[in-house]
Amino acid sequence: MRIDFRIDGGLAAFPGLAKPVTIDCDRLSPQDNARLRELVRRADLFQRPRRASPAMPDARVYTIALDDGGQCRTVTVPEPIADPALRALVDALAQHAAAVRRAR
Amino acid sequence: MRPHQCGCTILPPELLRRIARNGTARQRDAALGTLAIDHTLRLARATYQLLESGAQRGALGVPVTAKQRTVYDAQGRDVLPGKTVRTEGAAPVGDVDVNEAYDGLGATFDFFADVYERNSIDDEGLHLDATVHYGRHYDNAFWNGRQMVFGDGDGELFNRFTISLDVIAHELTHGVTGDEARLVYLGQAGALNESISDVFGSLVKQYVRGQTAAQADWLIGEGLFTAKVHGVALRSMKAPGTAFDDALLGRDPQPATMAGYVRTSEDNGGVHTNSGIPNHAFYLAATALGGHAWEKAGRIWYETLRDKRLKPTATFIQFARATVQNAAHLFGRTERQTVAAAWAEVGVHAGT
Repeated sequence: MRIDFRIDGGLAAFPGLAKPVTIDCDRLSPQDNARLRELVRRADLFQRPRRASPAMPDARVYTIALDDGGQCRTVTVPEPIADPALRALVDALAQHAAAVRRAR
Repeated sequence: MRPHQCGCTILPPELLRRIARNGTARQRDAALGTLAIDHTLRLARATYQLLESGAQRGALGVPVTAKQRTVYDAQGRDVLPGKTVRTEGAAPVGDVDVNEAYDGLGATFDFFADVYERNSIDDEGLHLDATVHYGRHYDNAFWNGRQMVFGDGDGELFNRFTISLDVIAHELTHGVTGDEARLVYLGQAGALNESISDVFGSLVKQYVRGQTAAQADWLIGEGLFTAKVHGVALRSMKAPGTAFDDALLGRDPQPATMAGYVRTSEDNGGVHTNSGIPNHAFYLAATALGGHAWEKAGRIWYETLRDKRLKPTATFIQFARATVQNAAHLFGRTERQTVAAAWAEVGVHAGT
């Protein structure tokens, strides 16, 4: 399972944060791998609309491109994220993405 | 027809107006004279009452109402508004985020009321609410159409989002723009929308500090970055593209002129990037006009924001032309030339 994750918008344009980050679940620790897969399952991305309503000014927009080895789905979500499961997934992805960026 | 001592006429105003429209020349003069006196007396009476009450007068003689602020604490959760922690007139509390939000809302309200006689964000006395400690390590702040929302920052890249007065005023100004020009948040109109928030964000800060255009730093979001970030602010209106250059955040992508205009599908067509161009035009106009930036340049921009001819899809050149026209109309030829020159310097040629 691989996830391409992007953060767009926000209070300012930060080129470093806007670049997509690829999170390869199989490269994570077994715990992180399992946790992330569970969050993806709960977020139920395949049932969500691909593009939500336009964001407010200075709100961030998250793009999650999921490739679970069988199917692909790209979902764009503006903040604030109402759904707790989707919010938990975005929070986890943001943390993983930050770790990937720091390691670059 | 002579007014009573109390200032009321015997004949009602509507009848006087009918005479003014349809009567003989002599009747018209008399009616208009009475109406004029009557209007003056009514205005004098209303003004006297307002001065007595200590209220400010708004643009149409309608008093600016007193500000009404409420600050809430979301306590790290995502539920709005959260727990009430400070209401209008209450003393400062122990939580600096709460006090900064309270003061920032107040400063923004006072600026628009004192300088432009605007009665809150919607010019109808909208109560100003803010929630602090929203979410966990939440790296943002926003106006959700009804209230301000502030995160704590992650402590790695960002400090608390109440820390910067111009950011608070920037967010609230999105509400003003939404009430007036309604510039769409896309492409050049979106970059103008962003720029207007930076302009008035900076002006609120300059007003609080009592700074002239020459004394101002023209930075947006100073203090927001932690010491780990290689950068001073989110943006610079004086020197777009120089605010930060950091290993994680990247380099400030803002252009100062049209030569650097960025065509992109990111960020709604680069609204936070290309805003550098109209930002720089405002900085150039304000410093060339001299004095306090809110008096001339700020007024020209504010009246342009309220200009009924400005479309929600306005481009840079359309907005620029409107500022040039408004500069002439509000002030005169010199100001008109100065504003046109500022736009020309950033590559937007707004006419002779």
